[in-house]
Amino acid sequence: MKTIVTDFEYLPAKTVEEALELLAQHKDDDYKIIAGGQSLNTAMKHRLITPEYIIDIKGLSDLDYITFDEKSGLRIGALTTHRSLEKSPIIRDKYPVLAEMEENVASVETRNWGTVVGDLCNADPAVDPGPPLIALDAKVTIAGKGEERVVDAEEFAVDFFETLVQPGEMVTEIQIPALPPHSGVCFTKYSQIHGDYALASAAVLITLDESKKKCVNARIGLGGVGNAPVRAKKAEELLKGKEITEDLLAQAAGVASEETSPISGIEASAEYKKDLAGTLVKRVGKEALARAQKA
Amino acid sequence: MKEYSIIGKPTPNVDGPAKVTGEAAYTIDMTLPNMLYGKLLRSPYPHANILSIDTSKAEELPGVKAIITGKDTPGGKWGLWRRFRELSDQQALATDKVRFIGDPVAAVAATTEEIAEKALDLIEVEYEPLPAVFDPIEAIKDDAPMVHEDFPSNINATRHIEWGDVDKGFAEADYVREDRFVLEAAHPCAMEVHNSLASYDKGTGRLTVWTSTGSPYFVQQNLAEALKLREGDIRVIKPHVGGHYGGKNSTMPDAVNAAILSMKTGRPVKIVYNRDEEFTTTEHRTAQNMALKIGLKKDGTIVAFEVKTMTNGGAYTGLGATTLYLTGTFITMPYKIPNYRYDGVRTYTNIVWGTSIRGFGAVPAKYCSETQLDRAAKDLGIDPLEIRRKNAVIPGYEAPGQYKFESCGIQPCIEKMAVRVKEKWPKLEKDEGIGYCAFAYMSGGIFNWIDTPYAYSSAHVKVNWDGTVDLYSQAADVGQGHNTVAAMICAEELGIGIEDIRLHMGDTAHAYTDLGAWGSRETLMNGNAIKDAAAQVKQKLIDIARLKLGENIAYDLVAKNKRIFLELRPERGLSYYDLVKDAIRANDGVPLTGTGHYTPHNKGMISPAYGMGIMAMKAKVDRETGHVTVQDVLVVHDSGQIINPLGARGQVEGSIHMGLGYGLCEEMPMDQGMLLNPEFVDYKILRTRDMPEIEILDVPTYEPNGPFGAKEAAEATIAPAAPCVANAVYQATGAEFYSNVLKPEKVLKAIREAEKKQKASKATGK
Ligand SMILES: Cc1cc2nc3c(=O)[nH]c(=O)nc-3n(C[C@H](O)[C@H](O)[C@H](O)COP(=O)(O)OP(=O)(O)OC[C@H]3O[C@@H](n4cnc5c(N)ncnc54)[C@H](O)[C@@H]3O)c2cc1C
Repeated sequence: MKTIVTDFEYLPAKTVEEALELLAQHKDDDYKIIAGGQSLNTAMKHRLITPEYIIDIKGLSDLDYITFDEKSGLRIGALTTHRSLEKSPIIRDKYPVLAEMEENVASVETRNWGTVVGDLCNADPAVDPGPPLIALDAKVTIAGKGEERVVDAEEFAVDFFETLVQPGEMVTEIQIPALPPHSGVCFTKYSQIHGDYALASAAVLITLDESKKKCVNARIGLGGVGNAPVRAKKAEELLKGKEITEDLLAQAAGVASEETSPISGIEASAEYKKDLAGTLVKRVGKEALARAQKA
Repeated sequence: MKEYSIIGKPTPNVDGPAKVTGEAAYTIDMTLPNMLYGKLLRSPYPHANILSIDTSKAEELPGVKAIITGKDTPGGKWGLWRRFRELSDQQALATDKVRFIGDPVAAVAATTEEIAEKALDLIEVEYEPLPAVFDPIEAIKDDAPMVHEDFPSNINATRHIEWGDVDKGFAEADYVREDRFVLEAAHPCAMEVHNSLASYDKGTGRLTVWTSTGSPYFVQQNLAEALKLREGDIRVIKPHVGGHYGGKNSTMPDAVNAAILSMKTGRPVKIVYNRDEEFTTTEHRTAQNMALKIGLKKDGTIVAFEVKTMTNGGAYTGLGATTLYLTGTFITMPYKIPNYRYDGVRTYTNIVWGTSIRGFGAVPAKYCSETQLDRAAKDLGIDPLEIRRKNAVIPGYEAPGQYKFESCGIQPCIEKMAVRVKEKWPKLEKDEGIGYCAFAYMSGGIFNWIDTPYAYSSAHVKVNWDGTVDLYSQAADVGQGHNTVAAMICAEELGIGIEDIRLHMGDTAHAYTDLGAWGSRETLMNGNAIKDAAAQVKQKLIDIARLKLGENIAYDLVAKNKRIFLELRPERGLSYYDLVKDAIRANDGVPLTGTGHYTPHNKGMISPAYGMGIMAMKAKVDRETGHVTVQDVLVVHDSGQIINPLGARGQVEGSIHMGLGYGLCEEMPMDQGMLLNPEFVDYKILRTRDMPEIEILDVPTYEPNGPFGAKEAAEATIAPAAPCVANAVYQATGAEFYSNVLKPEKVLKAIREAEKKQKASKATGK
């Protein structure tokens, strides 16, 4: 690691238009967007990247918002910090699972400055917002100059530190649909130390029918157990249309665990993480079910 | 016990306001006019010959003011084991070859840190990589690569300790068990990285160095050797220090190269390590392999104990040889062991070197011995607390030729623990367990490897006309709170307030010598010196008071509450302030002074006094994830007369934090000598939210060798933390651990292993 990052040209943007203009101008250059810089600075000090231009979007206050209405659901602007999400009354009321998730992201200092979208764009496979956004069926808006596209949260990260965002583009917003009635969502991550990156994490959404017996929809997102957050579709299928019992959950957890492909590292082996993912799905699924029954 | 006015009263840290408001200056905060920034170029190879170094491109970079390589240095070798010249093995810059990844080969001084760092990239070094050795057992093989040419066997130091008749002891034992352990390295992780600012005055030939150290005197001595200057021409100043934890005893290349660059340029030069350099090139707690054999009677009495260790010393000595010795002594404490044998070997290897990290030898040692003791107790059907009580020493106990306990509260500590545990944790839930560990630790070391001709500690007290006091000593506050302790001891002795005392500490030019902050020595050793100095002044005041009061000479006078009075007739006395004025007048206008000193004599090989006690932890194990939650900690501690209960509490809590890190998550995995986690994202330290509640109960004793009966409180409680966790998990699940760092995966494996064993034994039981 170096003490000092390499020289670059600093290009601050004040509005989305300005940012998109700068991005279009430097489309073919070696540039990087900086938001809170929590991940970017480290990567630069390690010389993993040595951009010639830094386009600073931290000043885009027009993208710092959290709104909700029943029709279009929740909208999170790209400059929303972890801390804003954690403390938002809207989130606490409508999507408490996101506030729960935030309480264990890094430390307060990092949450104060780092953005949720920056976390997703950094694309560490263990990114905490990844699995709950998959479970909540979130969409991500990617904008370029004069164009915009919307992608599923589960498609957003494609590999280690790689996303669908192309040169000249940036993420502007995350959308989450309103939850159907009788839905419960829960997320947990496991790390030995509080607030550390997850060895594995899991989010489960369960929607029950009118009678609150049968599962009509299930979505499972997993983190830290592949080259990007993964959706455990086979495990979801196992739950759908059935009455969820502890046995069934354990079975689904086993299937979900098989849908992962973690790698070994100094923190833990791949086998351990695989097992862990199953354990977490079982635990989180139980809580999601309880919440759905109460909802 | 005696009533004190200041000693024993919870006293906020005298440096607290400056530290919390950010006003306290650390070396890292300091700049001087015209100052240059230095950086070190480091070896990417664990072992290689240096064929050539070309600095020409770097020299052309505008802003670069000096570049040095090994041949430009004065070439003096240094180390803390000065008494044994061959162990003075550190050098400013490698000349012929590099011995670990990070060994410095060149240094640059430039007008900015950016330029200095850029210049490093322009220096071209041609290396010839050599076969390297990373493991202590490999290192002693005949065909192993040689780390230092004058140590063909790669054996840096050996230690043998023996008393009683070990073989006879084992023959008499009813139960013998052997266990082998592999202990991981850990880094001290001080918040303030190593950094130094050097300013050389070409006119006078004198050097001043500000540095983040635990011992300004060691740095002064080592600089004299490295630079081939006279000690007296070097002044070392220790400003506030942002953490030591054992990693700041050695003089490191930052101080030496900043000095050389300043001598070359005639300008002040500052070198600050970045966090990566801190992890990869500064000293850590040594990894080692230990083998233990213990023999007990059926009733749990220990009759023989044999320990062997082989430590992965790394490229240089540091205080590693001392650590090796202390590993062999602390592992026996606080137990009566009639027959004991220890053999320790420290090897040179091609990694960054290990040293005296907080708990100095006790930490790995106690991890092994106390987890072994739990397993022995279980096999013998004896309660883990009872086996410790049964073997614990009593006052006056002596390990022949090694150490003696004078004040010794371990038995009452264990008794108190037994009572409190029952009240505190009357019932355990599923998968919960309680782990115990008894401990003892020195209050300053008696060793003189540094070969000081001076007293181990000294202090100078000057009382001014208005009664204010200037206290001078090189003793080091490194965050542990010694400044507060020093002021309290001085104030108590003189019967005044700590607000009357101004401290002048940690400056080799302005104060008398003290060996620094290591081995929990400052309270006892510097405390004795301060008390001695203050007592000399007090005596002068008492003499004047006696004269003025005209009392019977048989009456005793005391100094308290800013008065000097008859102990048994407190109303008959005089004001301290008036007496000071009289005394200075009577002294031809010279302020009152006292110079105190302390060097232990006839106190065995280790220390004049030992802090001790017993720790218990309650932990819960998650059988699916392998996570261990430490729920609660209970410490019963004999620290003699505690000087500052607030400071002592801070030290115990900090020790437990560091000890738990050693037990649960801190590790330094390496691949071919390269550290794999040199940053805080990957090097795991427990956070506030991971820390359990800690209850501390004191069993006060009076330590005859300490000031006001005091002894250490800073390090004893680090060693027991990790074995307490491992023992708690063992009690809860039967899982056995033969290495520290109970990461969840390791715990899970050990639990599965234990479950298998339990099933198998049940099956055979049927
Ligand atoms: C000590 C520490 C601990 C951490 N622990 C956790 C943890 O436990 N869990 C967790 O989930 N995260 C953790 N993180 C990651 C942290 O959450 C992210 O660093 C932070 O949220 C990133 O946001 P930022 O605004 O700082 O992004 P930056 O660092 O500025 O950017 C990160 C990346 O995203 C890109 N980017 C940013 N915004 C956009 C955009 N709008 N459009 C396109 N690309 C963009 C940047 O170009 C860059 O590649 C931790 C980080 C640190 C430093």
